[in-house]
Amino acid sequence: MNALINETGAEILKAIRAPEFLLPTLLMPCAFYSLFGVILSTGNNNAAYLLATYGVFAVMGPSIFGFGVGVGNERDKGWLQLKQAVPAPPYGYIVAKIITTLLFACLALMPIYLIAGFFGGVELPREIWLGLFGIHLISAIPFVLIGLSLGFSLNSGAAVAISNIVFLGLAILGGLWFPVYAFPSLMQTIAKFTPSYHLAELALAIVGTGGEHASSFNLISVLIMSLVLLGLAISAWIRQR
Amino acid sequence: MNTALKTTQLSVRFGNKFALNSIDLSIAASGVTALLGANGAGKTTLINCALGLCKPSSGTVQLFSKTPGEIEAKKLIGVMLQDSALPDLLSPREHIQLFSSYYPNPLSLKQLSQRCGLESFVDKRYKTLSGGQKRRVQFALAIIGQPKIVFLDEPTTGLDIDARNLVWNTINELRHTGTAVLLTTHYLEEADSLADHTVVMNNGEIIANDSTEHIRAAASGAVIQCESTLDLNIIAALDDVRSVKMRGRKIAISSRNATTSLAALLALDPKLSNLTVSKSSLEDAFKQLTDNSKTTGDSA
Repeated sequence: MNALINETGAEILKAIRAPEFLLPTLLMPCAFYSLFGVILSTGNNNAAYLLATYGVFAVMGPSIFGFGVGVGNERDKGWLQLKQAVPAPPYGYIVAKIITTLLFACLALMPIYLIAGFFGGVELPREIWLGLFGIHLISAIPFVLIGLSLGFSLNSGAAVAISNIVFLGLAILGGLWFPVYAFPSLMQTIAKFTPSYHLAELALAIVGTGGEHASSFNLISVLIMSLVLLGLAISAWIRQR
Repeated sequence: MNTALKTTQLSVRFGNKFALNSIDLSIAASGVTALLGANGAGKTTLINCALGLCKPSSGTVQLFSKTPGEIEAKKLIGVMLQDSALPDLLSPREHIQLFSSYYPNPLSLKQLSQRCGLESFVDKRYKTLSGGQKRRVQFALAIIGQPKIVFLDEPTTGLDIDARNLVWNTINELRHTGTAVLLTTHYLEEADSLADHTVVMNNGEIIANDSTEHIRAAASGAVIQCESTLDLNIIAALDDVRSVKMRGRKIAISSRNATTSLAALLALDPKLSNLTVSKSSLEDAFKQLTDNSKTTGDSA
């Protein structure tokens, strides 16, 4: 337990000492939401719609970069190998990174919620806010697994590049920046194969803007994708050893 | 003899190349042992097997009768890996704090700072430290858990003389506190001045395993170098000649007794030129051992 606390503390210190990675992942979602959801908002329901999707976007940053770039870098430098040779608690490193990721996900979400509530005119009952928060945090699961797969299989330079492509690709194709119904039909089809799309649909269902599919379909899709990604992460882990 | 590390018929194969080929080795639970060999000889693979980082293709490894990789085995060892950088953004103090939470009886920051000379940079970020300072921090993490055996993979590669001396002194201190040390090196000088016991590896096999003194003695005598028109087989048959080979244009003769070999040589070829005679070092022993293993079955 003591080791896990220390491990988490070390992860948090490392993250806040790299503001060049931390600030963009924390500020970009909030800045984009302010611009597209509030300032340039046209329809009356836009602020609530984009609150649901930008929340998923906010969680995606720390999850994909924290794991893809962070793990890739530390594996590259041999740190991960040393960790496996010393009596560090098994999985302590991963668990500490997940706790840190969730913490920074919360830090990225809070300003978006505040802006939505105070400036976007989004009014929701307390339990809906909580439900939304829950779905947004759960979004971390598939993205962390994507980050882990990248971090275990790429060297640190490639991990940065590929993480950026995956991050932007999932954000745009999943309809986190602009609603999917505004896309041409081919892109709408592609969207259905991204976890970001289904997570956004689930969040939309909670704020009552309604997705295109039943939530059960979205939930099962996310579950299947997460299992596939878990398999990928495990095989990447085994291959790198 | 108490055994720290024991391998039986240990083989590791990458593709169809043997990184380790049927290694039988026992390392005592005290004293300093050097694993000596050129790059690619299998030293790091052997260490990685002892740490549980590398699975044997066949054979067994035991660490104090435990399986490497088990948490109980890990608590008994200290590790300094080759090219293993610590996270850049933490200070030595923070690294030490994290690692001390892994072990039941860790050394305190103060004890470690004194033993490894960390006082002046304990709060600086790791990335701002010099190469020697970084190595000292890695060394501190290797001994923090008061291990029974410390594995040091190339502990002084790339260090300047001051930093190297500091590591050497600390290894000697470990010897005096009864901690076993297994270090890999391709510096013969390092094995020569630090190790009680030397294991020489070549191409995934152990080609010598003896006290450092014996290994040096095996090569005692001299190396005679000269240019001569004599046939190598004739020279090889001379008194006290151990082996003969060409080194560039020169003939290198390893001899048990320089005086007798040289007298016989000069009698056969009075016109030989560019003659040098030098005392053989551990390096010669090492060269001879690796050459012999390359040309097993050769008459030379």
